[in-house]
Amino acid sequence: MDKKLKETILNPILKGNPITVLILGICSSLAVTVQLKGALVMALSVIIVTGLSSLICSLLRNSIPMRVRIIVQLVVVAMMVILVDQILKAGEGTYAIDKQLSVYIGLIITNCIVMGRIEAFALGNKPIPSLLDGLANGVGYGLILIIVAFFRELLGSGTLFGLRVLPAGYVPNNLVILPPFALILLGCIIWVHRAFDKDLQEK
Amino acid sequence: MNTNSNVYTVVYTTFVVVAVAAVLALTATKLRPAQDANAKAETLRQMMSAAQIKPTDELYATRNADILQLYADHIAEAYTIGLDGRRNGTLSTEKARIELVDKLKPQDKAIKDGTEATLPVYVFNNGVTVIPVYGAGLWGPVWGYVAFQPDRRTIAGVYFDHESETPGLGAKIKDEAWFREKFIGKTVGFGSAPLFNLAKNAEAGGSPNAVDAITGATMTSKGLGDALNVWFKAYENHLTATEEE
Repeated sequence: MDKKLKETILNPILKGNPITVLILGICSSLAVTVQLKGALVMALSVIIVTGLSSLICSLLRNSIPMRVRIIVQLVVVAMMVILVDQILKAGEGTYAIDKQLSVYIGLIITNCIVMGRIEAFALGNKPIPSLLDGLANGVGYGLILIIVAFFRELLGSGTLFGLRVLPAGYVPNNLVILPPFALILLGCIIWVHRAFDKDLQEK
Repeated sequence: MNTNSNVYTVVYTTFVVVAVAAVLALTATKLRPAQDANAKAETLRQMMSAAQIKPTDELYATRNADILQLYADHIAEAYTIGLDGRRNGTLSTEKARIELVDKLKPQDKAIKDGTEATLPVYVFNNGVTVIPVYGAGLWGPVWGYVAFQPDRRTIAGVYFDHESETPGLGAKIKDEAWFREKFIGKTVGFGSAPLFNLAKNAEAGGSPNAVDAITGATMTSKGLGDALNVWFKAYENHLTATEEE
């Protein structure tokens, strides 16, 4: 694999992570991380939406009129989001999760990561790198979501994926369930991330 | 080609929007039956949870096909009534074509306008009668199912749901089992007013038709309380009448 492609895939996951470095997509990472199952479905949905929207926009990039490019991108992203939502609603196993995620699947459209990657990458690059860039950014986002959800479900409910892991005597911590704790956790993740990656430290 | 001319822009955007609309319309049509089946199974789970057929967790761990079977096994009869309390229709309870009145919004409108309604009544083998309730919460509709003991005024169980109430506050009407359990054993005050009192410190009065509202969810509690009262009123004639077979 050539160096540039490797960079495209690895950068969004580590050094250019959309949540911990670019601080994008915070809203949904607070809302859907109470349980791992929901976070996992949300992560997969975002990966699919960012990947395919970037691919489609990259395919259209030479034909899109520059003056209305944002609107065209928005239409493409909206289509992908609605498709994902409809498919989740139709699956027997995913229906309950879709209900639990409620508006947040629809709100993927307002996730800055999706439009941001289309503007910054897909409009200037070939389809395959754009697809990979979109997918990798989704993975970078999903990874943080799952880390946050892991701690919130473990400490907030004593379970993982709905299965009890902490002894029954464990008193669930209600603070962990509430949205502010996701911010505290996110802050800790950013701290750890920067401590290991000297390039990210501001002088 | 000049991709920045006005004509190109208009033609291009029109084409994109029509293409996207076509894709979405096609998927929506294709997926509709599967989505409807999920919604129906969800309604049955909520009704059977209220009717205490099985614990809620167990019902949610059961597959759709088995839920249909479970309902068919436990339902005695299902029918609809008008606002006068008289029967005006029958709902099929055969497993292959279970009929429900699960579009509650038009019924709610019919109750409030006093027009022709078809309000569902589901009677289960264990003697409980389940009726729906529907109203406006803080952000969107709230609804639920209330199961009555054979005396048709003592509550045997409830299940509430909502579209978009605040997680951690209004959403507790659905999420918290203790809230549902508070209703069990309460009695609807048919013949008096209010029929049911869901309000702050309501239980302190000791009346049998009172449940405390949820702290921090005033509007959701008020909406749910209104829903209970409006729908109980609509069913009052039917539930208090002696069997009219």
